[in-house]
Amino acid sequence: MADIDDGPSTSVSEPLDLVRLCLDEVVFVKLRGDRELKGRLHAYDSHCNMVLGDVEETIYITEEDEEEQEITRTVKKQSEMLFVRGDSVVLISPQAPS
Amino acid sequence: MLFFSFFKTLVDHEVTVELKNEISLRGTLKSVDQYLNIKLDDVSVVEDVRWPHLSSTRNMFIRGSVVRYVHLPAAAVDTALLEDATRREAASAAAKAKQG
Amino acid sequence: MDMNDPQPSAPNLSLGSLPPHLLVGHALGGTQVPQLPPQMFITAAQLMDITDKKIMAILRDNQKILGVLRSWDQFGNVLMTDCVERIDATGIYAEIPRGVYIIRGENISMLCEIDLDKEDTPPPGLTLAPVEEVYALMKKEKAERKVKQAKKEKALANLGFVPEYNVEI
Repeated sequence: MADIDDGPSTSVSEPLDLVRLCLDEVVFVKLRGDRELKGRLHAYDSHCNMVLGDVEETIYITEEDEEEQEITRTVKKQSEMLFVRGDSVVLISPQAPS
Repeated sequence: MLFFSFFKTLVDHEVTVELKNEISLRGTLKSVDQYLNIKLDDVSVVEDVRWPHLSSTRNMFIRGSVVRYVHLPAAAVDTALLEDATRREAASAAAKAKQG
Repeated sequence: MDMNDPQPSAPNLSLGSLPPHLLVGHALGGTQVPQLPPQMFITAAQLMDITDKKIMAILRDNQKILGVLRSWDQFGNVLMTDCVERIDATGIYAEIPRGVYIIRGENISMLCEIDLDKEDTPPPGLTLAPVEEVYALMKKEKAERKVKQAKKEKALANLGFVPEYNVEI
């Protein structure tokens, strides 16, 4: 992909540059361990370590009910400010605040 | 380096470290290193019924690679400053990549 | 950062004994925090604090090794003496004397300093039992957990999720 050279801070040439465009925006993050996060991106680095503000965590849990059927339910947790270690991150996506 | 510096500013704040093995530890952040290993003092284990063997421990060294989250007090974080620092770090990483 | 140097020239790396007249700096948080000298923020300084103390090393596979931390290196590899491995299963636990351990750092989850006032009280909800009994029950419960975990992973994989890869719950 050719460099769109508007200047050093606005050219988009590698995937992490797309993350830079999401700073101070609400992002959706999918993590290892059956988790998803939605929050405002305040910081990130090349490892995908991140600090998110006002974040909602969704944890997916599967259980067997009385008839041995697999049911999936979600548990939601809120956090005012969260550091996320990058090695758990699977994907980062911009999200309209819901 | 960005998050190393960030955590240095949070020394002596109360944080909750959630590990990948589901243990959550609330304590005072005493130290951090370049690998984001964390030294936590005066620790109380969240859901301590699940982890009885931690009942006699107070201070812990936590290896950075097992951390999932660190829950932080929002008041201790200047988000504008953080975002600026992130932009600078991203720019310097890009400049380094261009040179190489 | 050269970790291979013998201890830096600071005479006392212990975090708990710093002089009060430190520089106060402005943090990324905007609050003023006492700025510890840079040599506080290395792995060596963190481990110096708990060296020669009784600790419990919790490994990534949830093994618990109690012992005295004697030595460590820049990778977080540790050497512990008078080690006792603690195994536990529902309601019971046992302790196996092991001697000297060198533990590769990448396998360590936490190094917990044991509170000497509390070290003799048994863990709440667990009673001491013969090693063979605990070992057998532990193996059985581990196998059951593994089967359950595999089922869960399969169901969640269908939803597009992947499990954590480097720790056991």
